[in-house]
Amino acid sequence: MLERLAAFAEKFTGPAELRWHANHSVAAAIRKGALVENSQSRASGISARVFENGVFGFAAFAEEDDAALTKAMETARSDAGFMKGRSATPRELARPQAIGEGRFDYRSPRPAATPKERVEILKVLDEAARAKYPELVNVDLSLSAHTSEKALATFEGARAYSYVPRAVLSVRMSLEANDGLVELYDARGGFGEIQDQDFSLAALSSWLDGLHEELRRKAEGGQCEAGEHDVVLDSDLAGILAHEAIGHTCEGDLVLAGSIAGDNLGARVASEKITLGDYAGRGPDGKSTFAIHVDDEGAVCRDVTIIENGVLRGFLHSRRTAAELGAEVTGNARAFSFLDEPLVRMRNTAILPGKDRLEDMIAAVDHGYYFKRATNGQADLTSEFMFGVSLGYEIRKGKLARGVRDTTISGTAFDMLKTVTHVGDSFKWSGAGNWCGKKQPIAVGTGGPAIKCRIRVGGRA
Amino acid sequence: MSALETAPIEEFVAELVARALRQGADAAQARAVSNRYFEIDFNNRGVELLRSTENETTTLTLFCAGKRGAANLNGRAANEIEAALLAARAAADAGLADAANDVAEAVSEPASAHGPQAPDREAMAAGVDAFNATLAADHPLVRSRDCVYSFSDAETAFANSKGVRQKERRGGYNFAGMITARDRGRTSSINYSSAGSRAPFASLFDAGSMRRLVRDAPRLLEPAPVPEKFIGDVIIAPDCLATVVGALASALSGGQLFTGATPYKNRKGERIASPLFSLSNRPRDAGFALGADFDAWGVPTQNLDIVRDGVLDAFLIDLFFARKLGVAQTAGAHNFSVKPGEKSLDDIIASTKRGILFSRYSGGAPNSNLDFSGIAKNSFYVEDGRVLHALDETMVSGNFQELLQNIHAVSREYVNFGNSSYPFVAASGVTISSK
Repeated sequence: MLERLAAFAEKFTGPAELRWHANHSVAAAIRKGALVENSQSRASGISARVFENGVFGFAAFAEEDDAALTKAMETARSDAGFMKGRSATPRELARPQAIGEGRFDYRSPRPAATPKERVEILKVLDEAARAKYPELVNVDLSLSAHTSEKALATFEGARAYSYVPRAVLSVRMSLEANDGLVELYDARGGFGEIQDQDFSLAALSSWLDGLHEELRRKAEGGQCEAGEHDVVLDSDLAGILAHEAIGHTCEGDLVLAGSIAGDNLGARVASEKITLGDYAGRGPDGKSTFAIHVDDEGAVCRDVTIIENGVLRGFLHSRRTAAELGAEVTGNARAFSFLDEPLVRMRNTAILPGKDRLEDMIAAVDHGYYFKRATNGQADLTSEFMFGVSLGYEIRKGKLARGVRDTTISGTAFDMLKTVTHVGDSFKWSGAGNWCGKKQPIAVGTGGPAIKCRIRVGGRA
Repeated sequence: MSALETAPIEEFVAELVARALRQGADAAQARAVSNRYFEIDFNNRGVELLRSTENETTTLTLFCAGKRGAANLNGRAANEIEAALLAARAAADAGLADAANDVAEAVSEPASAHGPQAPDREAMAAGVDAFNATLAADHPLVRSRDCVYSFSDAETAFANSKGVRQKERRGGYNFAGMITARDRGRTSSINYSSAGSRAPFASLFDAGSMRRLVRDAPRLLEPAPVPEKFIGDVIIAPDCLATVVGALASALSGGQLFTGATPYKNRKGERIASPLFSLSNRPRDAGFALGADFDAWGVPTQNLDIVRDGVLDAFLIDLFFARKLGVAQTAGAHNFSVKPGEKSLDDIIASTKRGILFSRYSGGAPNSNLDFSGIAKNSFYVEDGRVLHALDETMVSGNFQELLQNIHAVSREYVNFGNSSYPFVAASGVTISSK
C-alpha cells in the first residue's frame, strides 16, 4: 500500500498527505458470569488532506483502490477551495525539520490469541474471582486489544508504515457497603498484543487479591473532606496530571485559542523539582504503553521538554501551529482513524523522576491524602484541571489511615505545581495505557513518579 | 466488482445473514450503517478545515449452540466480508452458551426516511460567516475554537434469521462549538454546547445554549470563590443536566440491573425523585432532529416514560438483558426529555437563598451509588435571589439519588439539543466549596 500511496503523492503540487489507516480491535467482556461482548473489528480506508489557500481539505473513503485515491484527492482539493478567502490563517505550513521514513512494526512474533483463548482468559479469572470473593455484588472483566496500522506518503516525501498494538485486561469489582455500593477498577497489560501479555490466573492472582483488599478498605472508609489539602499523588495520578494539567494547556492549537500557557513561555510555572515532557518513540525509558516515530503529517517525532526544572520551555506542534507560533514542528499531529484529520495530540507525556522516597512523602504529611488511582480527567485553557480519583487513603500524622471513597481533585496547574515539595525516585507508566478525547479518541502514554503537593479535593465531609 | 458490493444496503444485510446460515450458524443478524458526512471546522479567525467522508460499517452477529459472537467490518471488499463471516463464526464457537442468546422476534416496519439527503453547503458556509461576523461585532472578547458545523446522512438497515427486516434513513445538521473569553492576558474557562437540526440553523447562536454561553462568557473573566464551604442549592443548566440524566440512565440500564450494582433495582413504581421531575425516552418524537425507529436488535423503538412525576415507571433494558432478567424489553434509548416546569428561570434564581447557577460539570464519573464530586465550571454564585459573580475553582459534591429527590423547581424555559431536551432544574443539599 505504501508504494501505491507514494506514487499518488507524487501528483500533489503543494502540502498534502495520503494515508491508509486500519484499526484492528477485539473486545470480550464477562459480566457476572455472562459473556456480554465477544467481537472482532476492522475498520480501514484511505484519506487525503491538502492545504490550499490557507484551508485544509480532507476526504476519506472506505474503498482502497486507485479510483478511491483519486476521488479522495479531488474531493479534498475541492473542499479546500470551497471556502476560499475565509481562512483562519492564510500562512504557509511549517516544514518539518526531518521528514519521516521507515517501518515501525511492533507486530507480535507469537501466534495471535484465538477467540477461544481470549474467552478462556476471562472465564478463568471470572470463576476464580467469584469463587474467592463471594461477597462481591459484581465482577466485570473485559479484554480488549487495539492496533493502529497505517501507511503515510506526503508531498514533502515522507514514506512511513507503522503497526502499534496495545492489549488491556480490566476488572471492576462492586461491593455493598453500609451506605451503598462501592466499586474499584484497575487494568493490566499495555504495549503489545494479547499474546504478548501474561493474563493467566497465576500471574494475576495476587493483583486480584490486592484489588479486593483495597476495595474492602475503601468500603470501610469514608468521604474526603472538601477543601485544599497536602496530598501524595502516586505515579498513576502524576502521569494523568502531566497529561491533563500541563500537556493539554501546552498543545499548540490551545495556545492559539488563548491558553494561559501562551503568556508564560520562559516563566517559572512549577517547582524546580519538576521536569515534564512529551516524548517520542516509547518514551525516555523505552517502556511506554504507546509508540510513535512519525506523525500523521510526515514529521519525525521528537521529544518536547515542556517544563524544565520548573520553567515552561516548549509547546506541542503540528505544521500549522508551528508556523503560526514561529516554532519548530514537533511531530504531534495525530489522527485516530482513516476518517479523521490529524490534530495536535500528546504522545507519551510524563514527569521525570526525582530523588525522594514515597515513604518520606507520606511521612511529611500531617493531615492529608494519598491518592493511588485516577479515572477520567479534563483540562482548561486557564490551566485549571480536574481528575477523578477511585482509590486513596487518608494520611494522619505521617501514616496511612482509612480508605476514602471516590472523589475529584482539581487545581490550577501553574499554581499547584509550585507547591510540589517532593518528586519520587521511582518512575512508572500509568496502568495499561490511556485514551485521550479531543474531537477524536487517541491512545496515549502517561507516566511519572509519585509527587507531594497541595491540591483541592472534593468531598462531602 | 461483485453484485454484493453494489447491492442496496437492505439486500446486503439480508445476504450476510443468508451466508451465515449457509455456513452453519443457528441464527444470525446483520446491521449496516452507510454514512455520508461533511463538516466545516472553524474558529473566530476563520475556516480551518472542510472534511468529507463516506463509510459503511456493518456488525454481523452469529449464534451457534446458544453461543454468540460478532464481527465488525467496513466497506464491502469481498475478502473482508469473508473474513468477517469467519471471525464472527470463530467468536461464536468460542463463546459461552446462554439461554438469552438469540435474535429478536419483531414486526418488520416499512422503511422510513427523516430529514434531507444532502447538505446545503451554501447555507452552511453562510451560517459560519454570519456567526463569525456577529461574534466579532457584538462579542469582541469572545473567541471560538473547534467549532464544527456538520451534516450527516445515514442509512441503516437490519436483517435477522427470523425474517425481521428494518431500514431507515436520517439526514440532518449538527453544530458544536467551544468558546472562551480573553481580555488583557486573562482567559475564561472553556464552555461548549452542541445541537442537531433537520434544517440548516437559522443562526448558529440558536444551536443548543450557544447564545446564552456567548453572552455569559465575558463575566467569567472575573471569577471569585464562594465565601465559605456550605451546603446549598444548585440551579442546574440544561447542558449540565445531561450529566445527571446520563448517570440516571446508566443506573436504570439492563446491564446495571443484571449486576445488581444499581440503587434502583426492584424500585419500579417507587418514588425516586421529586414529583416535579419527569423523564421520558422519545426515540420516535419528530420534535427531535435525531432518533431511531429500531434498535441494535432490530426491534422497533417506542416512546416511553421513564420517571413520571418522580415515580420510576420504566427501565432501559435491551433484548439480551431483558431475557436475562425475565422482563420486557424497552428498545432504544434516544432523545431523553425532562418535562419543563412552570416557573421562569428568573423566578427560580430570585427564590434561591444561597447556591450556584451550575452551568457545566467537570468531574469524576459518578460511581454506581451515584456519588459525584467535581468542578462547577462556567458557573455563578447566587445569594439572596441575585447572581453575584462567576465562580473560581469551586467544587461541588453530592449524590445524584439525593439530588433528584431534592429538586424543588423546574423552569419553563428549556433547550432542545436535537437529541435531548432539558430545562433548568433547582435542587438543594449539595456541598459547595472553593479553596
